[in-house]
Amino acid sequence: MGSLETPTGSGPSAGNGKSTSVDAAEAPPEPDMSKRRRSSVLPLEVGTRVMCRWRDSKYHPVKVIERRKVSNAIPGDYEYYVHYTEFNRRLDEWVKLDQLDLDSVEAVVDEKVEEKGASGLKMTRHQKRKIDETHVEGHEELDAASLREHEEFTKVKNIATIELGRYEIETWYFSPFPPEYNDCLRLYFCEFCLNFMKRKEQLQRHMRKCDLKHPPGDEIYRSGTLSMFEVDGKKNKVYGQNLCYLAKLFLDHKTLYYDVDLFLFYVLCECDDRGCHMVGYFSKEKHSEESYNLACILTLPPYQRKGYGKFLIAFSYELSKKEGKVGTPERPLSDLGLLSYRGYWTRVLLDILKKHKGNISIKELSDMTAIKAEDILTTLQSLELIQYRKGQHVICADPKVLDRHLKAAGRGGLDVDVSKLIWTPYKEQS
Amino acid sequence: MSRLSFRPRPLDIHKKLPIVKSIKDFEDDEAPASTRNSQLLRAVPAPEVEHEVHHPTPSKKLAAEIPTPQFVIVDTYERDYSCTFSQPTSYLRARGARAEIGEFVEYDLDNEDEDWLYDFNEERRILAPEMFESLLFKLEVLDHKARERAGLITPTLGSPIPVQLRLDTAIEALQAQGFKYSLIQSVYDYWKEKRERWQKPVLRRLQPPPPVNDTNPYNVFRPREKAHRLHTRRMQRRENNVQSFEKLRQVRRNLDQAKSLLEALIKREEKKREVMESEVTLQRMQMKYKHETEFLEDNLAFSGFTAFSSKFVSSEEEYFDSDDVMTNRFPRTRSAVQSLPSHDTNLPMVPAASTKQEFRRRYVPHGWPHKLDPLEPVLLFTKPLLPEKLAMAGIMPPDSIATNGVSPASYRLRGRMGRGGRIIFDRWNPLMQTPIDCGNSYYMPPKPRPSTCN
Repeated sequence: MGSLETPTGSGPSAGNGKSTSVDAAEAPPEPDMSKRRRSSVLPLEVGTRVMCRWRDSKYHPVKVIERRKVSNAIPGDYEYYVHYTEFNRRLDEWVKLDQLDLDSVEAVVDEKVEEKGASGLKMTRHQKRKIDETHVEGHEELDAASLREHEEFTKVKNIATIELGRYEIETWYFSPFPPEYNDCLRLYFCEFCLNFMKRKEQLQRHMRKCDLKHPPGDEIYRSGTLSMFEVDGKKNKVYGQNLCYLAKLFLDHKTLYYDVDLFLFYVLCECDDRGCHMVGYFSKEKHSEESYNLACILTLPPYQRKGYGKFLIAFSYELSKKEGKVGTPERPLSDLGLLSYRGYWTRVLLDILKKHKGNISIKELSDMTAIKAEDILTTLQSLELIQYRKGQHVICADPKVLDRHLKAAGRGGLDVDVSKLIWTPYKEQS
Repeated sequence: MSRLSFRPRPLDIHKKLPIVKSIKDFEDDEAPASTRNSQLLRAVPAPEVEHEVHHPTPSKKLAAEIPTPQFVIVDTYERDYSCTFSQPTSYLRARGARAEIGEFVEYDLDNEDEDWLYDFNEERRILAPEMFESLLFKLEVLDHKARERAGLITPTLGSPIPVQLRLDTAIEALQAQGFKYSLIQSVYDYWKEKRERWQKPVLRRLQPPPPVNDTNPYNVFRPREKAHRLHTRRMQRRENNVQSFEKLRQVRRNLDQAKSLLEALIKREEKKREVMESEVTLQRMQMKYKHETEFLEDNLAFSGFTAFSSKFVSSEEEYFDSDDVMTNRFPRTRSAVQSLPSHDTNLPMVPAASTKQEFRRRYVPHGWPHKLDPLEPVLLFTKPLLPEKLAMAGIMPPDSIATNGVSPASYRLRGRMGRGGRIIFDRWNPLMQTPIDCGNSYYMPPKPRPSTCN
């Protein structure tokens, strides 16, 4: 990222929830007391811990990750990129000074911070930020070193909002767009070919010529208005890359390190008379040596909490069943991903256990569901359904207990109608 | 039942696990001993397992943590996207990629293109943005083709990629498509300047991927390195070259050799079986011959028996192992031998003499050739013995030896029945009136073990 120019109208704090953005716009008059105090602590150092007003109008503890000058304001006026220590990194954001409660500043700054004049931005970029213990959850499978590297590299969101079809969406994480896009905070995506542009007019011009109305692959499932398309990353490289750039804005631990041609993308769409609108997708390696049946999974924010994620997971297992293989998602799973998977596994396994008569082995459960045996074990064990009794393992399937777990797991959203899946596994294709 | 102090056995995924339908089955026990893994995850109230396991924070905060998606509806959407799509009844199929279709202008103007165009037009609308887009796209494609022709396509982005397309070539190609000379020149100049600044193709499709060893995380979509991929020996693919061809030929030769070796082995085993069969036939014939001569001799004269018998026994000893000879000669030891394999440990407890007595009593006096002893081995290659003939030859059944055998006279010149119906003639010392000791292998009864063993 080069130096960030701050656009005048759409400051990053503008998308900060309706209530706070109003407060942020007006410059509040400062009492004399805090003015003096302010001059002594300002500008805040990277690493400073302070309370910050969030979109819920309450103050939450934050840590300053980065700062930048507001170019068109008074010299020495900064904006701060903060991490809410109680929350996931996806809620990190740029805030104006007036959102911070300067009386709560803890003068504990990272040891390595060196202050050298006004070019603070450049200096702090290279500072290694200590890992904040509070946001380690969801990263269990990464070691500390790679986590630190990951966070250093992705610590500040580059794109704040995107426009995709009908929706303007706040992004969650950094995404490594090409360097030509370093100078913008908002991107306009064509909702069909996923090309991204910096200006609305460019998108509108693109829409006049864009000839796609659906993802550039084969439709392999259709039920009502819901369609699934299979896009080969090798045949549609640019589309695959666009999709990855877009998905990275909402996935913390997604890597764009390798090219897309070894992947298939399964894009779920809601269709109407304007075309097939992407709802979410999952990617899958064409040949996985680790029996992964899913690499990345995303439901776009406007479609979240509607059962589409569960549909995508169920769909990935239906593909595995057609292939006659067991599968498992690639790790690490994000917090939301893990939640969805746990829910899916719980529902599928407990539904079987409720109906099943007689003894059953983990292997048989695995063969029935295409869920990997290890995943079955961890699921049942975390629900305490596998117990060691009188020298042998038993599955405890008390209907009341199962119903309680099923209720906690939530109902599976949309069902996959297998009869509507018309698909040949990749290996057998041509 | 007390709490389990041992670690439960690891769960075998192939093992059928009973499904317990009622939790009451457990209620007599204390807290359930869950498996090892679950112990790590427990200490959590069941309904909240999912949340709690992965978010140690209280669930109050958690509700806030799961974000409510932030989005707004774009008001220009309905204008920007036309309602011109109608779903066919059949599933949609992919068409060729855009690059293959050709006519589609893949390039979209960026900010600096628009700015340049604005200045260029100066309110006069010389060049429409669509036309400009198309020109830039064509320049990019022509440049790429020129580089292809020059053989300068790099697989990865290592060093700056210079412009290959010359102005005259561009003008030649584009004038044929109806663009004005001056227009082409201006756009070419702008494109070349931009292109040299970027040091790589402007069209993303034509940009080579970063090299495999590039570690800069901002560079993305590397080709997958295949050489460094770890795989098991089984996964190693044989390369298609002369070396592996030779290797496979060697494998074939080895397999052929192994095959002929095995065939020879089969032949040898067949021969061995033939030899065995012939030997058996020979034995049978010898046996038959022996019996006939024996009866003949018996009938002829008793006087020359000593010489004959010695000859006979010696020939017989080729077929009988010394044990058999021994046991028949000394009935006392015989019982010990017999009891040995069946109740080895009891042996020292049972006096040999008494065993002998009990043993004998079990015999049915008549019909002895048919069933002497259930434990006795059966001679497979001999004809069944005829009691009349044996009686004629003066051969005594074993139990008659035992009862009558006290008299030395009965031994003389008599053959007797051995184990399994074999006929044995004992040597006899005519002076001492005692059996002649052959002295080759006395049976030594095992030493009684100390009774503490039992």
